[in-house]
Amino acid sequence: MRKRSLVLFALLLVFWVVISAGVDPQHILAGAILALITVWFWQDLGPRLPSIPFAKELLHLGRCLVLLVLYIVQSNINVAKTLLFSSPPVSPVFVVMEPPIKSNWGRVLLATCITITPGTVTIDVDPETGRFIVHALTEETAIGLFYWRIIDEIKNLETLRQRRAKHVVDTGRTHDLDSLSTLTSDYRADSH
Amino acid sequence: MIKWIANICFIGSFLAFGLGTLGLFRFPDPYTRMHAVGMGDTLGVGLVGLGLLLLSPNWILRIKLVVILFLFWTINPTMTHLVAKAGLIHGTQPVEGTRLRKG
Repeated sequence: MRKRSLVLFALLLVFWVVISAGVDPQHILAGAILALITVWFWQDLGPRLPSIPFAKELLHLGRCLVLLVLYIVQSNINVAKTLLFSSPPVSPVFVVMEPPIKSNWGRVLLATCITITPGTVTIDVDPETGRFIVHALTEETAIGLFYWRIIDEIKNLETLRQRRAKHVVDTGRTHDLDSLSTLTSDYRADSH
Repeated sequence: MIKWIANICFIGSFLAFGLGTLGLFRFPDPYTRMHAVGMGDTLGVGLVGLGLLLLSPNWILRIKLVVILFLFWTINPTMTHLVAKAGLIHGTQPVEGTRLRKG
């Protein structure tokens, strides 16, 4: 947990230095004080923060993002075609689907990916069953959504992380096991 | 050369925003209009950002632009989702002929 706070502090400091005009002692000192206050204020968030990702996971996520940008360009062209050339203008569809993703962060990531692609908007995600309600602009987008490659990518990322979370809890190396509640809340935050 | 590529990016983003605005008039109900506006909000903003990235004189400005683009691309879907969900909760009727497909 202390490691996570340190990483959070470093991220906030880097963000501050990037946003402020230049690198000089005054800026860095002010940024360090503010980052420290922020980390201290949000220390209850500690167990809720996701664990620090591996390089492999980051690589996977990066590939996912590149794929997403390609899909965004493609679906922009599709929406433009629908807008200009189809008559009657649209035949929208409400899609109800249950993608095989169990974790909270995975569902949020998938919902964001669906919404950011023009032509599909996530309207609701049921936290219990993982049922997505999606509004799609055309029938083709709706059908394409069921076989979307991003779903598989997020699924792979999830299994990658789950394997690691199990490993971490088994060995107990990266957690400080001073109380049972820390462990359980940590595990919950990681695996859900 | 770089200037010309940036100009092409700006023209592309203008087209995306223009088509999005056209869709605002052409599409029949709030849910479908959301898709049209989403076109300007993703590709339009992305292309403006790409053009500005190409034109920017130093690295600190480029990093700032990337941060802005990242924030835009994370906040935009969240707000779109909120508007759509609020519409459904408050009983905004979708256009006639909207189907339901289960999978």
